[in-house]
Amino acid sequence: MNIQLLQCARMNYSSSRISHKTISISLIWRRMNCTVGSTTEEIVIPQKIPRGPTDILRALESTIVKDPTAAHYKFHDDPYLIPNSNLGKRSLSMAQEAGRKAAHWVRKENVDLFQHKEAEPFINMFAPPKVYKEDSIVSIDDLKECIEKVNVDDSILVYKLLKGKSVEIELEVMQSMLELLCFYNSQDSLPEEFIEERWFRQSAKGERQRKTWKDGAFAEEIFISIKEPNAEAYSAIIQGMGKYYQIDRATQLFEEAKQKGLTLNVNTYNTLIEAGNLLKENYDMRWSYIVQLLNEMNDKKLKPNLGTLNALLYCLSSMGSKVSKDYALKSLSEFRKFGIEPSLASWSFILQIYCKERGPTSTILFDIMNEIENKEHMIRDIRDVNFFVTAMNICRYHLNDVSLAKRVDKLLHYGNNYNLIGDSFRESLYYRHFFILSVNSEPIQEFMQNVYDKLVPHIYTPELSVIEEILKSIEISGAIEFLPKLWSDMIIFDLCRKESILNFVIDIMISNEPKNDPDLVEKFANIGADIYEKVMNQNEMKTNLITVTGDMLGNIMVLFLRNKSFDKAWDLFITLDKQQQKVLGVPRFESLSALIDACIEEKVPSKAILCLAYAADVGYENVDELAKELQSKLTLDETHLQKLSKIVGQHVIIETNE
Amino acid sequence: MANPPHMIAHRKSWNSWNTSNLDGGLRPSETAIEDVFIRKFMIGTWHALFVSEIIVKRQHNIIRIGGIIRRSISARKMYFLIGYTEELLSFWLQCPVKLELQTVQDKRDVIFKYI
Repeated sequence: MNIQLLQCARMNYSSSRISHKTISISLIWRRMNCTVGSTTEEIVIPQKIPRGPTDILRALESTIVKDPTAAHYKFHDDPYLIPNSNLGKRSLSMAQEAGRKAAHWVRKENVDLFQHKEAEPFINMFAPPKVYKEDSIVSIDDLKECIEKVNVDDSILVYKLLKGKSVEIELEVMQSMLELLCFYNSQDSLPEEFIEERWFRQSAKGERQRKTWKDGAFAEEIFISIKEPNAEAYSAIIQGMGKYYQIDRATQLFEEAKQKGLTLNVNTYNTLIEAGNLLKENYDMRWSYIVQLLNEMNDKKLKPNLGTLNALLYCLSSMGSKVSKDYALKSLSEFRKFGIEPSLASWSFILQIYCKERGPTSTILFDIMNEIENKEHMIRDIRDVNFFVTAMNICRYHLNDVSLAKRVDKLLHYGNNYNLIGDSFRESLYYRHFFILSVNSEPIQEFMQNVYDKLVPHIYTPELSVIEEILKSIEISGAIEFLPKLWSDMIIFDLCRKESILNFVIDIMISNEPKNDPDLVEKFANIGADIYEKVMNQNEMKTNLITVTGDMLGNIMVLFLRNKSFDKAWDLFITLDKQQQKVLGVPRFESLSALIDACIEEKVPSKAILCLAYAADVGYENVDELAKELQSKLTLDETHLQKLSKIVGQHVIIETNE
Repeated sequence: MANPPHMIAHRKSWNSWNTSNLDGGLRPSETAIEDVFIRKFMIGTWHALFVSEIIVKRQHNIIRIGGIIRRSISARKMYFLIGYTEELLSFWLQCPVKLELQTVQDKRDVIFKYI
């Protein structure tokens, strides 16, 4: 530490870029007779580093790493209040937001009570919103304020009131009003402060491209009311129409503006390029349409931006032809020349272009990763949030490469990159790909230790499909020691309502009998008891009931017998016998014979005979052998023999009497 | 609760934590009234749920409200109340308000001795 300081001081001294303070420090150091090795690097200590108001908070924050064993900070740190299942996470955070909305409502209903001003300086967010009614007296400033605060409905109302009083509204305000209406499609959007609703909204699912632009809505009214609309007005309305897929009208207005000799802005061109996908049917026509637009931009001396690149790549990504790869790379290098660095959205489009489902395998993700790894990325395009999901998807389906997936995951956790995960839907999709890929390509022990234990349950709660994959992997590798833990997680995550998964768990336990591990045998028996209780005590009113099969119960019985809990197994058999209408099918012969063996071991011939009767009833053919075994191992009295002969016939009994 | 007031800072702690009453402290009377308001609000909103005193801590412009509650309503309802309380008290007191709650299964869990 000291030596470093000294070097700094000394460097400053020799480089004559010095303040008096550094001179004196270096002199002091020199007097202390320290020897310093020469370094070639020049270090300049700035006189002052300008700091922002939150810099110290950021510095403190950077010392904290994320703790995967703790719940998200939006939840209360209390065992009762920490959710586990995906449903719980969602409903608890939405409940909190609902409470916040209730508070907003209370404030809105009692505006007169919230007029006090406690804080100094006053913070506007705490004040109740201004309410505009049909009879309010408004001015231009109110309209400006509404536009500033992004209140679409209010600004429409105020605008109408002003028009009613025939107040002249200046062109600038009209323009910003038009832009607001076009951006939000003439309706209020979800307020920004309700972050949970935004996070859990399933936006990624509903991204269907259909016309949502409100024809004849207020935005168009405003546009018409502008006398001789200029280029900005045209740009705004065309972008609005393009954003909400009213493509025909947008192109129409575009032609109109061109005829008037107006130069529209770059973003309008970007919108139109993006619309090419919907406008032109085949790939060649689309490409020539795009080239035509780009040429127009060139003629008008418009400098393209990142939006242009992404619009271009977006169009290319939906073109299947081989040329699209070529065009994509060419445009990338072309835009590089303009100094436009591709954003994550551009890379996700490139991935879509190169890694087609039916196309040849492409390793372009490696090259992309080399480019963007170990960097902090900012959001520059709204579609940047698609990158991580797309990349993980490619890792899983296209390349099947777990080491690459880990690199992608490392990039996601670099700096503040996690902000680019998008929303809860994208996040769970991302982790689903990551989990299934890792569980299929890594040894199960490593997977459970490095991935599962770290991320479950607080960061990610696996879905049924993921659990199924893990179970498969456990079955293949025979790593049954993980089964009890996985089962308890399944109960917590509320994932054991599906019949197939229950049967799968039982099958794994049956086919992998834990030898020399009484602990595990007991745990398996407990799991069996859990399942038994679950399927027998189902609420009849519910829909998708689990059908109780004889096979399932028989297997559970075997689990009990392995754990030497004969009574439990016997109880189960009695239910099986009594409730034949409720249970579908019959247990396998092996299960029944295991029970009879246990009966012999316990020396309870009457129970064994009951069991034999059941086996004979359901029509198993090997009953005779079992009866013989029973006779040979236990000494039966007259009544027992009589019963036995009724079940299996006289011939078996006679043979043993001889 | 089981100790008389002169035991504060010896055997028990304060229910309100702030620096208003120190030399040069700001808004001493307002702070006291606001704390009373907060307690009444909490008892009314979280009806029959609190099994401890309500602790009000102030640091800079933040008010933190702590306490122990019973688990007699579902976690979801609790989160609704948390959201509602935090937001409405912020509107009223015009500063960030946070709840710091712990839950217990039974109200007897917080009885330490019988007098």
